[in-house]
Formats: sequence, structure tokens, C-alpha cells
Amino acid sequence: MPAKKLNLRKRYELLTRGMGWETTYQKMDDVFPYDSFEGIKITDWDKWEDPFRLTMDSYWKFQAEKEKKLYAVIDSFAQNNGQTNLACASYLSAIKLFITGVTPLEYGAHRGFAHLGRHFRGDGARIACQMQAIDELRHAQTQVHTISHYNKHFSGLHDPFHQFDRVWYLSVPKSFIEDAMSSGPFEFITSISFAFEYVLTNLLFVPFMSGAAYNGDMATVTFGFSAQSDESRHMTLGLEIIKFMLEQHEDNLPIIQRWMDKHFWRAYRLLGLVAAMQDYMLTNSPMSWKEAWEVYFVENGGALFEDLSRYGLKMPKYHELATAEADHISHQIWSVFCSLGNATGFHTFLPTEEKMAWLSEKYPDTFDKYYRPRFEYWAEQKKAGTFEYQKGLPQLCQVCQIPMVFTEVQTDPMQISYRVTEHGGDKYHFCSDGCKDIFEHEPEKYVQAWLPVHQIYQGNCGGPTLPEVLDWYKFKPEDSGDYIGSKDYHRWQEWKGADKKVKQA
Amino acid sequence: MSYEVTIEPLGVTIEVEEGQNILDAALRQGVYLPHACGHGLCGTCKVDVLEGEVEIGEEASPFALLDFERAEGKCLTCCTVPESDLVIEADVEEEPDAKHIPVRDFVGTVVKLEKLTPRILGVFLQVENDEVDFQSGQYANLHIPGLDVPRPFSMAQSPNEKTLLEFDIALVPGGEGTTWIHNELKLGDTLEFSAPYGHFFLRTSDDKPMLFFAGGSGLASPKSMILDLLESGDQREIILFQGARNLEELYYKNLFESLQQQYQNFKYVPGLSGPDIEPEWDGLTGYIHEAAKEKMNGKFEGYRAYMCGPPMMIDACITALMRGRLFEKDMFMEKFFNAADAEAESKKSPLFKNI
Repeated sequence: MPAKKLNLRKRYELLTRGMGWETTYQKMDDVFPYDSFEGIKITDWDKWEDPFRLTMDSYWKFQAEKEKKLYAVIDSFAQNNGQTNLACASYLSAIKLFITGVTPLEYGAHRGFAHLGRHFRGDGARIACQMQAIDELRHAQTQVHTISHYNKHFSGLHDPFHQFDRVWYLSVPKSFIEDAMSSGPFEFITSISFAFEYVLTNLLFVPFMSGAAYNGDMATVTFGFSAQSDESRHMTLGLEIIKFMLEQHEDNLPIIQRWMDKHFWRAYRLLGLVAAMQDYMLTNSPMSWKEAWEVYFVENGGALFEDLSRYGLKMPKYHELATAEADHISHQIWSVFCSLGNATGFHTFLPTEEKMAWLSEKYPDTFDKYYRPRFEYWAEQKKAGTFEYQKGLPQLCQVCQIPMVFTEVQTDPMQISYRVTEHGGDKYHFCSDGCKDIFEHEPEKYVQAWLPVHQIYQGNCGGPTLPEVLDWYKFKPEDSGDYIGSKDYHRWQEWKGADKKVKQA
Repeated sequence: MSYEVTIEPLGVTIEVEEGQNILDAALRQGVYLPHACGHGLCGTCKVDVLEGEVEIGEEASPFALLDFERAEGKCLTCCTVPESDLVIEADVEEEPDAKHIPVRDFVGTVVKLEKLTPRILGVFLQVENDEVDFQSGQYANLHIPGLDVPRPFSMAQSPNEKTLLEFDIALVPGGEGTTWIHNELKLGDTLEFSAPYGHFFLRTSDDKPMLFFAGGSGLASPKSMILDLLESGDQREIILFQGARNLEELYYKNLFESLQQQYQNFKYVPGLSGPDIEPEWDGLTGYIHEAAKEKMNGKFEGYRAYMCGPPMMIDACITALMRGRLFEKDMFMEKFFNAADAEAESKKSPLFKNI
């Protein structure tokens, strides 16, 4: 009788696990120096359940089919001048912010997973991380192709990687990913695979991609869908790693709870940028930030944490505050960009009457009461020619690095939320209890934060004046300021005007 | 005309009727295959066709089954029909303890009706000139006259008893099937049924000690399983936690107390949750998961747990077990859904596969 065929799980184990062995020339602890200092106890790596059973062979086939489809769309978009079919060139501001903020995040995730793919002691977990490292690199590449296309026609996209390291608002995603990358491997994967990819990724991708489709941006839609098809695998890895750590040892629970609290809050703060994009920067918005938060966090996230509570894990700290803030943050963040619009790599614009009517409908409790008057006041000033951008530089939160614009939404939404703590004789400022808690747990880490405003004042950013700083960012004069009257605006008018003439002829 | 389909790595062969899909045939013949949506959208039931010809079926979504996968001979069992004898390979774990007993149709005569509690009726069916083969924990589908959909009830007797079947049937308020059984069914009546169904059975091929949690008429399966274990001389530690609201609902107490006397490795822990507990009760009170926590000092690591009863009870037990470090792969359960329970099911996350 021939030997019985192995099942898929065993076959996958044999295909992937031969790379691991107990080392004898060197101590295992020297070969894998990073996987114990965080305090996570792993008693048996063999209990690792592969979250997906994809061999390299079929991985290449899957990805090849996706790449073929993606680049066919990008090519035809380019050849047919797809950029002229956008809803409006002002929509590109959202893409500029997204793509200059997220592309380097993908690259950072690639580096992080490559590191884990070497440094996890368990070979099953190493393989999963290696595959994700390749995925993340692919995502960064596909986004670079989209940047490259739009860079031929629009301002502000000529140097995203240089800008990621310098620009004041890009320090928000940069500090997020570097916080994760400078943690141990278990914290990194909790942050990226679980808190970000699992709990919050739908908030980043789903409304944003449907927003792109809504505004005629097929180049972005396609890299979005192509990336999303990998995302389900990443999400499964996020769930597996959490279950694995929780089931391995009871001492892991409080560590994971703290990471969950921390990285939920960090990722949520980062998504504040997405909130502004969704509500203000998209010409047509398919869904408000608040609606997206309700569906993707309150409902779906709620069901997940309900299940996780069986392990004793609680909802992340301050999640109630995040839900209360859903009525406010998009308005607050867009206000910051509008008031500092002379220092952004994308164009700002005040909401139109139509947009404000939509915001009133979506935010009946807050928009008319707190935010409409501000935008109307600025609109009057612009009309009268008296509008001025903010002269000073804003105070930044030491942890999330967002200007201190969030307010006490649960008590007095007109009062800025300030938190302060002392460390080593210095004062540090925070936008929230969430960020303050993170600092106080690891002050040695966050006192080193590279805060763009502090760096300008310390003379490290090209010089003391705005033009010098913008020059150091490699912003060109046409990158910033109001959309109306910008180079992008004039080019768009030319295209649309030319269109009309052709039609008339 | 039917085809033979061999399912690897189990090595089990099933018969598939003309026009029948593979998944339906497998489930009917006691072979569990992964599945979820049941109509070609999710891809959970994807398998490799190693030998033979199939009709993939128009229902298979192009997103659930990509072009290159079709070219490589993959198909979705929920909408694929064989066009020759087949060998397929599915993503299933070999269950060394699963017996894959084919479902058959039977007729039984009611030989005894016993009021086990004010709510639960014991129905005993005698099968003539035939034997009902099943694994303890499995159920039968009873065809009730006048109702289109058969009703599932677990066999409560030991699987060594193949001709006299016992079903413990609780009266569900407003339930058509159970109302008919309680009010209309008489001694000497015949009932048609098909059996055995279900993926709830004992894992005896390793020697982990076993915990059983039973609530209400959910005692049927654990009773069959425990009798099965003890009759076969199994020496492992076995504990039964039985929950009921009060003493008169706590049925088969005498049986389990005498088994406890007879077998050193078997422990019986009943608990009453109230509200109307009889004053003579001196055992544990509270819900059964609380009684278990108290008895086990909150530690369940190293055990395997079998749970059978209403969804609320199972839910509470799962949490208690996980807090006590017994996780999904060591839990087995049979939820007793009635129509109202199914509607009350809350939104699920994908964290767990089988819970």
C-alpha cells in the first residue's frame, strides 16, 4: 500500500519549516537576540498555526496575476490621460497627502517585517513575516508608480521620500512607523499587524478607495484593490499572532493589553489625517469619517473585542473618547491645514456651500455649532483680502506630533485639550491622556522625538524664515497655498476649457 | 447514475448522485468538509481535483475562484458537480476519531415515553431488523408528520445500544415539533428518521482528561458519550458538570451518582441556577460555568471540554474555560438552537473558527 498522502497543513509545514533548527555552534539566544527582552513568553513555537498556507510558487502566481491587472490599468490610465477625468484637480490634494504619507509607511512596514522574518525564533512566524515583507514592498512600488504618473501633471509629488523625513505633518506617519520599528519584534507585529492592519485598516482603505472611485481616480482605486487583496492575509496574521501570544503564557496578557492600548491610540491619531481627507479633501465624499468610524470601529471592532474578551483582553483604553471625537477631528485637522496652507505640499481650500450643507447633514450636533462659523469667517476674510496664514508655529504633541488642536469633546469642545508632564527637569506637552500615558510608560524613548517645530526653532531646518524651511523641505512655490489660482488650478482650467472648445468644434 | 468521489487526505470515498454537489453529498455521508456561504461566493470550500472531470458550476464567483485556479484544477465543492469518478484533496485535518458513518433512513416504534422532568420527555424508539450505527454525540433527524423540515435530536443512549434509541426532548414554548411530540406522540406510533449526523464526537486517540458541560436536555449527548467511555473501560479522568434551574429539572441524577460510585475515574458535579431551588438542595448553586470554576479553582489547562446546551450556557462556559487557559482547539460543542436563538446570534468577528 502506498504511503498515505499528507494533508495540506502537514505538507505546508514540511515545505516551510525545514529552514529552522536548534543551533549548536552558537547559542539560540545569540542567534535570536531580540525576541525575549520584551517579556513575551513563548513556551512552544510549534503551536504556531500558519495563518495562510501559501507556498512561494503560488504566491508568485497570485501576485503576477494581480500585477498584470494593476499595471494594465495604470498604463491605460496614463495613455488615455485619465487625470483629466478626475472630479476636480483639487481632489489631488487628498491623494498628495495620502500617497506621500502612506507610501513610506508601506516601505517602513516592509523593513519591519523583513527584520521579523529574520529574528523570530519560530520558523512558521518567520515565513509569514517574510511573505508580508514582500507584499509591503510591492505596495510601496505600486504607489510609487501612481506618484510617478501624477507627478507628470501636478505639483507637490516630486520628492516624497525626502519630504517624509522632514515635513512637519509627514512626521506624524513617520513617528508612528518608527515607533513600531524601534520596538521589539512582538510589539512591532502587534502594532502593525493587529492594531493597524486588523483593527483600523478598513478605516484607512475602504472609505478612501471608494472615495477615489467616486472621484474618477482609477489609478488609486486599482493600487488600492491590489493592496487590499493582500490585506486579508495580513489581517489573518494579525489575529494569529495575538491568539498565539495570549495562548502561550498567561503573563503575556498585561503586556499585550498595554501594547493594544498604545498602538490603538497611536494609529487612531494618525488616522486623524484620513478623517480630514475624507470629509474635506475629497471633492465627493462617499461616507463621512463619523459613519466610517461607526461601521468599522464601533461595530466590527466591537465584535472583535467581544471575542477577545474571552482571553481577558479589554477594549483599548480611551476608545470611548475616540468615538466621541468622531464628531470633531476632521474639522479640527482641516482647520490646521487651512491655517498653515502656505507650508503644505498640497493645496488647501475652504469648504464650498454644497460641502458645508453635506457636513451639516453628517455632523448635525457639531458642524453648524462649532465649525461652520470658522470656515465662513475665513471665507469672508479671503473675499476681503485680509486672510493671513498663521504666523507662529504650533505647539506639537510630544507623542503623535500633531499640532495641539484637539479639544475636550466630552466636557467643553471649545477648550483645547492640553496635558503636560515633567521628565528629567523638562516639561513635555500632549494632546490627550492617550499620548501622555504612552510617554510616561517609556519617557526615555519619546524625549528623543524629532519634533519638526522644535527642530525649526533649533535652527536645524534650513533657516529661520518660512521660505528657507520650505526650501529645505524641497517644496516649490507652486506646491503650497490656495487651490484657486494655483498652477494645478490653471492647468485644470486649461484642460477643461480645451475640452469645451473641442466639443464646440 | 452516481459517481464515486474519494476525498484525500482522509481516503474516504463517498457516492455523489447525478446533479448533486460534492459538499452536499459529503455532509450527508458524514464527511465534514470546510464550507461557509454554500453558494460559491466565499471560497472556503475550495479543493483540488486530482483525478476526474467536474462541472465547476456557474455559481462559482470569479473572485472566489480565480482564472489560474480553475486552470490548475481547483473547484468549489458547494457548487461543483462530478462528471466522472473523482479524487479530490480538501484542506481537512485527519480526525483519527471520526468514523464517517453514512447517513441512512430508519423507522422506529415508540416503546416508552418517560417524563424525565416537567419539561423534558424521554422518547424511546425501537428499530426492528436493523441497527443504527453512530458515534456518541451524534444526532438523528426526526421526521414529524405535517412538518417539512425534520427536527434534530441527539441520541442519549450508549452507542453500543443500536436498536433501542433514546431522545430527550424539551418542550420549546411555541415550537411546533416539540409541542407535537409532547402532546400527540403515543406509545406504538412509528416515526421515520435519518441518522447519524453531526461533528460532535469523542476524541479518544489522545489521553487528555475530559470535562463535559451539559445544560437542560443538552445532557443527551454527554450521557451517551460518558456511557460510551465508561463501558469501553476508559481510565482517564472524566468530570460531568450538569446544570439545571432546580432539582426537578436535574434529571438522571441517580444514574450519574451510581456511575460515580462504580467508576473511580468519573466525577459528577451538578449545579442549580435557580430561581426556584428546592430547600433540600445542598449542592452547588449558580450557573454551571461558575460551579466548574469553583470546583477546578479556575484552572482548565490540559483538559478537553465537550459542551452541549443552550447558546447562553455554552457562551459562558467558553469564556470561563479560556480564562482558565483551555483554548479553541480543545473545545468541542453542540449548540442547541431554536428559531429564536438563531435570530439572537450577535455579530461575529473572525477570531475563532469553531466557536
